[in-house]
Amino acid sequence: MRTPEIVFDEVSKFYGEVLGVNRVTLNIPPGITSLVGPNGSGKTTLMNLMAGLIHPDRGTITVRGLSPKDPERLMRVTGYATQYDAAPRGATGFDFVSTGLMLYGYSRVEAAERAWKALDQVSLTGAANRKVAAYSKGMRQRVRLAHAFAHDPEVLVLDEPLNGLDPLVRAETIALFRGWAAEGRHVILSSHVLDEVDVISDQVILIANGMIIAEGQIRNVRDEIHEHPSQFIIRSPGAARIASMLFELDHVTQVKLQDDRLGLLVMTRNRQEFSRALTRIALGGCGIESVIAADENVDALYEYLIGGSR
Amino acid sequence: MNTPFRLRQVRTIAQLELKRVFFSRRSFWVYLLALLPAVIFIGHGIDVKVRQSRSASRTVSREILASIQLGDTPESVIERAGEPIDDHQWNWKEQNREVAHRRMMYFDGQDRVNLHFQDGLLASKRQSPLINAEEDRKVFAGVFQYFYLRLAIFFGCLGIFMNLFRGEMLDKTLHFWFLAPARRETLLAGKYLAGLAASIVVFTGGVALCFAAMLWPQSAADTQAYWQGPGPAHLFAYLAAAALACIGYGSVFLAAGMLLRNPIVPAVVLLLWEGINGFLPAILKKLSVLYYVQALCPVPPPLDASAPPLARLLLTPSEPPPAAVAAIGLLALTALVLWSASRAVRKLEINYGAES
Ligand SMILES: Nc1ncnc2c1ncn2[C@@H]1O[C@H](COP(=O)(O)OP(=O)(O)OP(=O)(O)O)[C@@H](O)[C@H]1O
Ligand SMILES: [Mg+2]
Repeated sequence: MRTPEIVFDEVSKFYGEVLGVNRVTLNIPPGITSLVGPNGSGKTTLMNLMAGLIHPDRGTITVRGLSPKDPERLMRVTGYATQYDAAPRGATGFDFVSTGLMLYGYSRVEAAERAWKALDQVSLTGAANRKVAAYSKGMRQRVRLAHAFAHDPEVLVLDEPLNGLDPLVRAETIALFRGWAAEGRHVILSSHVLDEVDVISDQVILIANGMIIAEGQIRNVRDEIHEHPSQFIIRSPGAARIASMLFELDHVTQVKLQDDRLGLLVMTRNRQEFSRALTRIALGGCGIESVIAADENVDALYEYLIGGSR
Repeated sequence: MNTPFRLRQVRTIAQLELKRVFFSRRSFWVYLLALLPAVIFIGHGIDVKVRQSRSASRTVSREILASIQLGDTPESVIERAGEPIDDHQWNWKEQNREVAHRRMMYFDGQDRVNLHFQDGLLASKRQSPLINAEEDRKVFAGVFQYFYLRLAIFFGCLGIFMNLFRGEMLDKTLHFWFLAPARRETLLAGKYLAGLAASIVVFTGGVALCFAAMLWPQSAADTQAYWQGPGPAHLFAYLAAAALACIGYGSVFLAAGMLLRNPIVPAVVLLLWEGINGFLPAILKKLSVLYYVQALCPVPPPLDASAPPLARLLLTPSEPPPAAVAAIGLLALTALVLWSASRAVRKLEINYGAES
């Protein structure tokens, strides 16, 4: 019996000097899982690794118990809609899907039948006999989707599948994903924005700079983002007094007095509350010279990931 | 997943690829290369035919032509043999003296007779066949060895086989194949067979056409004698050599296309390698496609005795192995290259450049 999960174990991938992903460990159960992260964070790299298009430098991957190094077996249970836009030269939408199917050993007739069915599910039958090169962005997105699921795979890997779709088609596509997930398949999506996928996902995986920064059910991930500690450095002659006042607050997790006793390092889980408290302290007569956010980049990243909607 | 299934996959892949290879705009110049010599031979044939029909209308009997002696005057020759087919006159200054030259040509139905007069007297008489079958075959041998083997098939295979992987990497379509439920080796085999089918059809076709164009103007008697003699064996050897060259170069360029992006590098390296192969120690010679394929050629190409020694060394095959050994050697070399290609294709990654 094959294990039903997709497992990454300490996987690293470098493109020469450039980091693709670093020490990724994941255990993805069936259902809809979204990979969310900004451009260049490593979403496509993870998906290519799953599908065996690239190979890890370190670590191992199994997809429902199969190795990505064995495409003959892996691709029977996997369908991958890549972010690469090109279709084979001169191919029509129908060719693209049906030739893919012929490689599974379907006869010409069976392949045609299945291709039409898949194209119908993405509402592309009308354009099936036109060249893919002449498709609009959204149509190309959909024909890739049809190519990925035409052979009825257990694992669907879809790189930014909602990108470029109009609202109506998007709703239809999401309904497809939900249907597949309900049948116990893996549906792995990627997106730039958490808001785009959070309501439809069973799990989300946040990724930045090639590292997994949070994973789990959407509620937990959101909490984790909200509560991620921010660090500030405060300079004040009355640093010691401010330290004792801050220490009383619930959302402050750590306060450290610097050696010169004129500076403080503060960690808080709620920046809004924290800034209100600082205002109170300042009005109370403690001279505060400066407040600096210690790790602005990380803050900005989290803000970005949840779409700024705190 | 069993062998018959994989073989079916190979066939499907080869069929799909063949369409692409045959109709790709990238292969267009390959057809031109393959057909160019045939065009030249056809041109030569047309020229011979035109001259034949011109000469045939004014045949002079052999006895009359035999009666022409050195020292005869042009007038006495014309009196006996009639107006010549060709007649040129010119003056030449030699040692402060004008010398009058005149050339006349007659045809006895088979041979041309060239008469050269100086100062009004016949100075030389030469007889030559209108078409020299032997010589044409030598020219064909030269075209085959120097043009087809060293140029057309070499660069044709470079164009066809390097593009099988590299071309799809540039087009960003290679992942389509990698996402099929097929072993990478299956894919490699399918693509290789597609390239082979295309290149063998194009080049054996070109060679056969060229061969036919070479025989076309020759007299029926010559042609028949050739077909009853060594002709079929020659044709077979040429076609086999062309096909084996495709098999050998194809495997090399297929592997090169997997490892390198720039086609110029392997082309130059291989061209040099094949070029200096004659100087290499015996063991390294065996790693050359040309070494084997040359051994299959039935007629030695014409090589001018006055050619510089370096050129002679580069162009003459050194102690060629017997044909059967050569064929087997080439297939073994190909197997070795394909084996290493199959190892490379397993490691091959989709890398369309960082921007995508
Ligand atoms: N073929 C490659 N060669 C070199 N570097 C690469 C290559 N592919 C990706 N990278 C680098 O690896 C990192 C991760 O890229 P990846 O394509 O996985 O990101 P992504 O999350 O899919 O981004 P996007 O949202 O833009 O699709 C980036 O820094 C990128 O520059
Ligand atoms: Mg991407």
